[in-house]
Amino acid sequence: MGRGLSRLVAVAANTFRETVRERVLYNLVVFAVLMTLSGLLLGQLSIRQDEKILIDIGLAAMDVFGTLIAIFIGVGLVSKEIERRSLYPLLAKPLSREEFFLGKFVGLVFTLFVNVTAMTLGLYAVLLATGRGIEFRLLSAVYPIFLGLVVVVAFAMLFSTVTSSVLASVCTVGVVVAGRFSDVIRNMREVLPGAPGWLIDALYAVVPNFQNFDFKDRVAYGDAMPPDVLGWVTLYATAYCAIVLLLGLASFRGRDFQ
Amino acid sequence: MEEEPAPLVARGLTKSYRVGHLRQTLRPALVDLDLEVRPGEILGYVGPNGSGKTTTLKLLTGLLRPDRGEARVFGVPVGDRASRRRLGYLPEHPYLYDYLTPAEYLDYAGRLFGLPSADRRRRVEDLLALVGLERSAHTPMRRFSKGMVQRAGLAQALVNSPDLLLLDEPMSGLDPLGRRLVRNLILEQRRAGRTVLFSTHILSDAETLCDRVAVLRGGRLVSVGALGEILRPGVAHLEVLTSGIRPDALSVEGVVRGEAVGERTRLEVEERALGRVVGAVEAGGGRVLAVQPVRQSLEDYFFEEMGGRGDGGNPWGEG
Repeated sequence: MGRGLSRLVAVAANTFRETVRERVLYNLVVFAVLMTLSGLLLGQLSIRQDEKILIDIGLAAMDVFGTLIAIFIGVGLVSKEIERRSLYPLLAKPLSREEFFLGKFVGLVFTLFVNVTAMTLGLYAVLLATGRGIEFRLLSAVYPIFLGLVVVVAFAMLFSTVTSSVLASVCTVGVVVAGRFSDVIRNMREVLPGAPGWLIDALYAVVPNFQNFDFKDRVAYGDAMPPDVLGWVTLYATAYCAIVLLLGLASFRGRDFQ
Repeated sequence: MEEEPAPLVARGLTKSYRVGHLRQTLRPALVDLDLEVRPGEILGYVGPNGSGKTTTLKLLTGLLRPDRGEARVFGVPVGDRASRRRLGYLPEHPYLYDYLTPAEYLDYAGRLFGLPSADRRRRVEDLLALVGLERSAHTPMRRFSKGMVQRAGLAQALVNSPDLLLLDEPMSGLDPLGRRLVRNLILEQRRAGRTVLFSTHILSDAETLCDRVAVLRGGRLVSVGALGEILRPGVAHLEVLTSGIRPDALSVEGVVRGEAVGERTRLEVEERALGRVVGAVEAGGGRVLAVQPVRQSLEDYFFEEMGGRGDGGNPWGEG
């Protein structure tokens, strides 16, 4: 392993260790599993819809709590390093800012992966406990959810490098909300005829469309997502992450740590 | 054989900060700093709060970028990552990850220098013993006192056995025991042939430890040299300790100041007036207990250089 890569891995490993020791994270994962379990109760109230409701609620819990975790760790871990100045002794070592920034990102992505895996196993455990088999098609909804969370973390990191933790949280939540209702942005011209078209187009292009990562309904109704669709979603997430991380990196590289 | 470049050379190093929100102005923090640190010396970097000490150290570690000028560590420009290989840095009031134990933190620091795993283990043990934290090696640092955090911070600065150690206010906020430990540690580094640059506004520390001092005021280097070169070598005045006589009972020419200290009186006396003052004390029924020559201290120098008013006004500002 090259020295640069080994330093990047060291930062990533430390980031993961930090999140593992962050108790709030466990609360969120436990809450997500509890919410999945609540699907059992709701399933009882509907006729022959219990399995669909269970999967629906399980995936929704993963999406909602995963997003909360992504914002929490994405903003928290990077802003905290800057605001508490814990990165000063690190950057005074032969660690480049690029290695630090990307190491943080890799560590956060790995944390998300572990969290999503835990929540998925929770969902499968509930399905098994209620006499249903393991359905691998669920993974074709879980995977895009994970990709969406990675995009959220990239945005959280970008905002953390340019502003305070509070503003970075607000901006990241703003991007998530706007991205989940991006069709509203597209149709804004009809609602606000006076709004400049170029602004609406620019906004629609800049904000990631998080609906592209949402296959919960289709999977809950029994469809498995074709590989080419998942491939496109992967490409979409990769492109967004690359651009957002490059912007974050440029800001982090040029920053003075007063 | 080619001579090794100086541990640290700064030429014309200048840095300003933007202040204000709507109407931003530039506030100079460091102006045209020319400084050379010699191999194996301890250089005290002293000055009041806001004089540019921390800014200098951050410029030398790449945390800040200069507006102009340059600095080299062992001949390598500070912007270059290689300049940080032989460097150890302790920031002021270090915040170290409170969820880590010092052993984990030092291991992490060692990984960033590419130390192999076995070397890291040994190095971590040695450093923890050196700073007296071996019994707290596996305690999360969130439970540490300020002094313990400072010691852990010092240990991380030494993880690569640096040839040049930059310490920003290493004694700040420490109790007397902690200060002694840090002082001994700095002296040990010199004995090991390392070069130390440490900033401080505690002048007694600079007087005790440093081969040379560099004095900063308002972002500018006022003077640099050995204490003997900077301070006036002669006796500034004599301190005479007496008993059995009150300060207001003495009206002798040459007594600069007198104050009661319990049942005794301390007099500040000009050197040439000592005989007269001793005679007057004895004539008044008092006794001379001690006579102490007082030379100019770094603190006196500061009060003069920084525009101290001699009336107890503090040239150090808030701290």
